[in-house]
Amino acid sequence: MQLKNALFIALIISIIGLISWESYWRSQGKTANLDDNKDLWAVQRAKVDKATEKGVILTGSSRVLFDIQLNEWELETGIRPIQLAAAGATPLPIFSDLVNNTNFNGTIIVGVTPPLFFSTTFPKADPWERAQSKVEHYYKRTYAQRFNHALSIPLQQNLALISTTEEIWSNNIDLKSLLNNIKIGNRMPEGMSPFYEFNDTALDRNTKMTERTVNDTAYANTIKRVWGFFGKTSPPPDKESTTNFFIKDAKKFIDRGGILILLRCPSTGGFRIGENMGMPREQFWDELVEKTKAHSYHFEDYNQFKNLELPEWSHLSPKDARFFTTELIKIMKADGALSNSKTQ
Amino acid sequence: MLFNSLSFIVFFVIVLALYYSKLFNWTGKKRMLLLASYVFYGLWNPPLVILLWISTMVDWTAGKKLATEENQRKRKLWLLLSMTVNLGFLGFFKYGDFLLENFVTLLNSIGIDFQAQPMDIILPMGISFYTFQTMSYTIDMYKRKTERAKTFLDFALYVTFFPQLVAGPIVRAKDLITQFYEEKKATTEQFIWGLFLLTIGLFQKVVMADTLLSETADTVFGSTKLLHGVDAWVGTIAFSGQIFFDFAGYSTCAIGIALMLGIILPDNFRYPYASLGFSDLWDRWHITLSSWLRDYLYIPLGGNRHGITRMYVALMLTMLLGGLWHGAAWTFMVWGGLHGAYLILEKLQKRYLPFKITAWNGVFLAFITFSCVNITWVFFRAREFSTA
Repeated sequence: MQLKNALFIALIISIIGLISWESYWRSQGKTANLDDNKDLWAVQRAKVDKATEKGVILTGSSRVLFDIQLNEWELETGIRPIQLAAAGATPLPIFSDLVNNTNFNGTIIVGVTPPLFFSTTFPKADPWERAQSKVEHYYKRTYAQRFNHALSIPLQQNLALISTTEEIWSNNIDLKSLLNNIKIGNRMPEGMSPFYEFNDTALDRNTKMTERTVNDTAYANTIKRVWGFFGKTSPPPDKESTTNFFIKDAKKFIDRGGILILLRCPSTGGFRIGENMGMPREQFWDELVEKTKAHSYHFEDYNQFKNLELPEWSHLSPKDARFFTTELIKIMKADGALSNSKTQ
Repeated sequence: MLFNSLSFIVFFVIVLALYYSKLFNWTGKKRMLLLASYVFYGLWNPPLVILLWISTMVDWTAGKKLATEENQRKRKLWLLLSMTVNLGFLGFFKYGDFLLENFVTLLNSIGIDFQAQPMDIILPMGISFYTFQTMSYTIDMYKRKTERAKTFLDFALYVTFFPQLVAGPIVRAKDLITQFYEEKKATTEQFIWGLFLLTIGLFQKVVMADTLLSETADTVFGSTKLLHGVDAWVGTIAFSGQIFFDFAGYSTCAIGIALMLGIILPDNFRYPYASLGFSDLWDRWHITLSSWLRDYLYIPLGGNRHGITRMYVALMLTMLLGGLWHGAAWTFMVWGGLHGAYLILEKLQKRYLPFKITAWNGVFLAFITFSCVNITWVFFRAREFSTA
């Protein structure tokens, strides 16, 4: 009887604890959000095996994630792209996987964020490892991991208290992150400024900037400070090896009938200044385009992209991301790079 | 599948519902548990279930022959077959790369230029546990210490029973198979205790080991710089906590899960860091493994029956192999060797400098034991001797 009472009390305390914890985090502005983790990526990667030559795959870094809106793309072309871009990562390992391990011969759009695209081909370097680990997870994931992921989706979509992420955001609320945020003494040198989550991810990885990032300038400024930190601490680019690595795969893909599109998404402010200083367009983008012989689109070349809103200098607000996607498709269609399957 | 995963919660709820439903008789329930155990294992890597099947078939056949065969030579051959298959699996899957690596190093050291591609063999989950468990069955059958399993189903379930399949406790045949003979059903008290143990085990594993302690240990052991002594000790103590909560937490989960099904599994950890000396430690730490090593390695090596020197040799060999059981690296051998040395020193002390343990010197002894154990953890955790 005592045991039954103990169980009953434990259950009551657990339920009260869960409700209180959920309410607390919601009162702090946390919302239920999907974690853009390796499992979510792998589900999209699995779609490639069934994609036809009409299919479109998006790869690149976070700018392709935020700036290309899948709903608008589908509305304009009748095809919903497979979103395989990876934040903070070079697209080279993912593109290489698509070229060498699949027979896909549709359209691949590769986003070129110069500090990441031209960063490295060293397997242990962070921008490479981030992308490569997703590819490896796709091939190595167990059935148990797939099952766990599927079960976690409704929980992630409905509970703020479990909104933890693979990324080490400063506003993660899992126990480990909360403990890490407690600073005792100052033995460790202050590194990067706090880096807060600013993405809102859907099940098919369609990603939007959060409303808070768009509307709260102070919040957006915290992200700008992090870009500044990366700008000061990142190693110099490795143009030769990254370009050569990419060209080899690009040639193979084009030769088998695939359509390759290079895309330079907008950046502004301090970020843009840093990019122009470290990786001038003529020496990096233009050379890449020339060597690749692929369709290419640089935001600077189009008047409609001159006054876009990038709250934290590197990614478009949801409104402008929708505009950017729609206009970009118009340009690509006019150019013959994209066919309009809606009218075919 | 891991206990600390969402899929396990769903899996276990379904198993419990089927187990306590009136859909099956006892044989049907055992079949359901066996199937569930294969699903539990196969969700990680389905083809590796074949290893479980081979192990089960070989040991069932060997057990059957050992029970009926009177010819001692033939009995030995059946035991040898069981040992070869089980140790062969363990040797190939767990130690294949390690052996190859050392073979290459040996050839290079004597001037032969030879390079080999690493085999990159996948390590089947729980292979160290289930091979030891099934070997205990055939060895006990050979020694006529246990009865043959009544049915193949009982034996297959003994090999594969999901609560203890991947991380122990390593259960002896006579303690588990006999529980499968009659219908088992947890009493309300057992069920609630089981649930509590499962919760406590998950807390130990998820909160204590994986969240509170792992990062400190990882930071210290992953450091490429020479550390301050205090930092090194903090990292080592964090690891000693992490490994205890990790191992003990998982065992506690297993015991709790089995109890919810009305099956009793043995205790595996009993306050090991409160040990007074190393014999005491091994009576408290991973009890089912240490008793396995004692019964199937130390005693067959001679134990204390052939004089002191032979006993020390047997003790050291047992601990060295016990170290290697934990992982395929020389650092694990050093860990085992240190424990062997501690046990030998303790036996020497008891022989030449005996003293009575009181409350006062007991505290000191516990502290010394814990400190010495921490030194061994440095080698256990470090992947390279340079890190240690």
